[in-house]
Amino acid sequence: MKAKQYGMTIDIDRCTGCGACMVACAVENNVPPVPEGANDRKGITWIRVFPINNGAEWPGRQSAFVPVLCQQCGEHTPCVSVCPQQAVQVDPATGIVGQMPERCLGCRYCMAACPYHARYFNWWDPSWPAGMEKALNPDVAPRMRGVVEKCNFCHGRWHAAKQRAAARGQQEIDPADYVPACVEACPTGAIEFGDLNDSQSTVARTAGEDHSFRLLEKLGTDPKIHYRSKRDWVRRVAAAPGKEEAHG
Amino acid sequence: MTHRGALLFWAGMLAALGAGWAGFPRLIYRRQPQPVAFSHKIHAENAGMKCEDCHEVRTDGTFAGIPRLEKCASCHSAAMGTTAAEKQFIDRYVTPQREVQWAVYARQPENVYFSHAAHVKLAHLECSSCHRDHGQADTLRLYEEDRISGYSRDIWRDMKMDDCVACHRQRGIENSCLDCHK
Amino acid sequence: MKATRRDLFKFAAGGAAGLALTPMPWRLVTDTALWSENWPGIPRPARGEIRTRFTHCALCPAGCPVKARCVGDQPVSLRGLAGRPLCAFGLTGHHLPYHANRVSRGDPEGAAQAVRAALSRRGANESVAVLDLRPGRTASWTYRRAMGALPGGLYLAAQSGLPAIDLRAAKTILSFGVPVLDGWGTPANVLAARAQFRLIEAEAVESHTAMLADEWLPLREGSQDALASGIRHILTAGAAGIPSGEAAERSGLPEATIVAVAQELARGDAVVLAREETDAVTELNRMLGGRAIVRRREAPAPFHWTRTAAPVTRFDAVPDQSIRALLIDESVSDGYFPWDAVERKLAPEATVVVFASSRAGYGAHAGFVLPAAVYPEIADDIPAAIDSTAATFRLAVPLVEAPATVVNPTRFVAELAGVDAGDALRERANAIEQSGRGTVLSYTDSRSTPLRDIKADAFWKILHEGGCWEDEARDQSPGEPRASAPAVVAMTWEMRMARGPLSPLVTKLYQESNLRVRT
Repeated sequence: MKAKQYGMTIDIDRCTGCGACMVACAVENNVPPVPEGANDRKGITWIRVFPINNGAEWPGRQSAFVPVLCQQCGEHTPCVSVCPQQAVQVDPATGIVGQMPERCLGCRYCMAACPYHARYFNWWDPSWPAGMEKALNPDVAPRMRGVVEKCNFCHGRWHAAKQRAAARGQQEIDPADYVPACVEACPTGAIEFGDLNDSQSTVARTAGEDHSFRLLEKLGTDPKIHYRSKRDWVRRVAAAPGKEEAHG
Repeated sequence: MTHRGALLFWAGMLAALGAGWAGFPRLIYRRQPQPVAFSHKIHAENAGMKCEDCHEVRTDGTFAGIPRLEKCASCHSAAMGTTAAEKQFIDRYVTPQREVQWAVYARQPENVYFSHAAHVKLAHLECSSCHRDHGQADTLRLYEEDRISGYSRDIWRDMKMDDCVACHRQRGIENSCLDCHK
Repeated sequence: MKATRRDLFKFAAGGAAGLALTPMPWRLVTDTALWSENWPGIPRPARGEIRTRFTHCALCPAGCPVKARCVGDQPVSLRGLAGRPLCAFGLTGHHLPYHANRVSRGDPEGAAQAVRAALSRRGANESVAVLDLRPGRTASWTYRRAMGALPGGLYLAAQSGLPAIDLRAAKTILSFGVPVLDGWGTPANVLAARAQFRLIEAEAVESHTAMLADEWLPLREGSQDALASGIRHILTAGAAGIPSGEAAERSGLPEATIVAVAQELARGDAVVLAREETDAVTELNRMLGGRAIVRRREAPAPFHWTRTAAPVTRFDAVPDQSIRALLIDESVSDGYFPWDAVERKLAPEATVVVFASSRAGYGAHAGFVLPAAVYPEIADDIPAAIDSTAATFRLAVPLVEAPATVVNPTRFVAELAGVDAGDALRERANAIEQSGRGTVLSYTDSRSTPLRDIKADAFWKILHEGGCWEDEARDQSPGEPRASAPAVVAMTWEMRMARGPLSPLVTKLYQESNLRVRT
């Protein structure tokens, strides 16, 4: 079985900033809400949509939305190289950078190392209103406080797809069975997912196209998330080191 | 060390060994009887059932696990044999439609993901390769639960992560962490 | 010989060395780690076979089809159908029965008594009224029948008698603060039609729709009428409206921009949308005469309902201080009347009963707050969305049982009036089936069948197992732009976030990120 490299292309020109991807991800992965009064730095948003603009005033003002999630870096993953617990690993069979909260000891070194700020810490134990824990997704384990978590490309759905294939006696999954929650929830199809090694897949074809770029490419992290936009100013803002302002 | 000192040292060691090996297990494990005296042997031999008649892999790949009451009641709505255990089962569970709260030896932490479909349908493992003779036994094994962690003493005869990894290594199957964790 | 401290240490050393050779320390370390994974702070998801059930999302009139994955009777995830994903609110629908602000207890007997007492005290010029915040449902017919049966009964609706907006017939849309690209209408349809119209968003704040529109007009807060009037002036060559110079000054927009917008609207197939329908906007729409405003037939209803039902009364037609008893169905709400507008119509010492699932609404002002079921507990039909040119009939099928303390608003009102509302949904479905028009779409097999070919029982079954009915499309006669309704504010994301019911996960949109600002 040929190794896969699961990746995404995100079309910034199509993103409407609705936030359905953010909520779909939280529902699928049992991400807890933070207590009232906590700020956005304590929040856990495996995928987070940032509003950006070209800095001009009306009538020249233009805006866009950029969803940022774990960029699923290539071999030289900053987080993997600093983790003292080997709680994160690049899976050679799928290319997914898998975070194991059960091994994590909570030093947060990986959070410092990640240039995309795509890793989140559980400052509190998950706290749901009474009864709401019955509505949790059984395919993903809830995490305790003190561990770091991040996007795993919806591995709960990966398991379900593999299981379904195994029941049919097949090793290879049906690509239609494995669709991450954010991809499924996007109303405009701005996020597309697939195997970058599969030349037939949409992501493989569009990843290298003219208007595509990756975040902080100069760092050499070799991320598997490719962004696209026909607007030059979007590329300029996305590449700018002053991304901190966009973080809020 | 003086003769007396050495004696005390060894006495201490013996006491600790005794406490650790004999006393501690009795303290740390709570024994819990299974709610129903179920016999796999009777169902396998007398009723001629196979493992997958109750413990099947569904079409979507999920595993049925320990069957729910409706499966048992589909045959045992009335007594099929003469044992007191069966009568008790019908009176206590089938008639009032109460689910049996089985004590599950194999219960793993929430973050563990095990796919029966992959092992049974892809690797074609026999049930007995992991579950040994459980399917032929006349009684259910004693369930001992760790008072602190809440897990069974013998998760499938010490089927912990090392044992899974050892078997995988033996068969040359590479796995990444997320393959077995969720 | 006396035992000394050194003896104790030697014994303890032996003991420690011995312990290290037993499983005890390792077992205890593992156990504490395992225990911490499962301590009471960590919830455990339900286990069991996953079954799929279909329903429709009742949170807004888009009524998106929902595929619910359930363990036993508990939905553990909600998904839309292919090509029609659910929005952030719809995705968390299965959390709503447990939302923190839920009204759990009420006094239905006390409320019924109070209303009956108010009815007996009712003066000749006073009325008893039901305020329906989601008109167009089968439940709305029940309210109308109940008010028709009660002397002095009035049926009040937010945004009654709306014409539909046919997006495919619009080339230009001028929107005054309507969140066209942010949850308005049926989002999947809006996005599908997006390439065909140019959207000009006139709004003081840079909302998401303003960011995504083809043009944003940042007019001053409250100057909507000035801009509408200014445009009318240009289009009528000065015969009506205010001069564009004045419009520019009041709105804060350059005059040239206003002229350009007017010229674009004049090219035809333009429609104006507004959150607050004022005369200026209505006149502008009437002038533009676009084909985008169409009349929509309602789904058929049993004939005997139409004969006994009270008419739909406009809120501003009610004299001030004339309502003796007011029952507000806030269990589902698509529009919002500010409380002071409502209060003005109440007679002194009027009885107010509110049916709500969330405490953050009219509950603060009512004498009686009765707990209502919340989606996905409700059994109700969902009225057609504003951009739906054909009538639809689709059911929100209960996925979860409502708590025992819940009061059914339609049953309560019907009992007061002595009207039988038991099987209203079934009667409605039968009436639709008898009309024989339209098609039925079934989700389980994606098949579309003319209603003529389906019998009543099969129709009822499809509606419950995943399907909807849609009226036939026909040449739409142009609809009247709606006459002004006072201060009815259409629901926006911000309002939904403020009033609920809300899953705590939606905080990720405002508290845990800067994507949206909670007002």
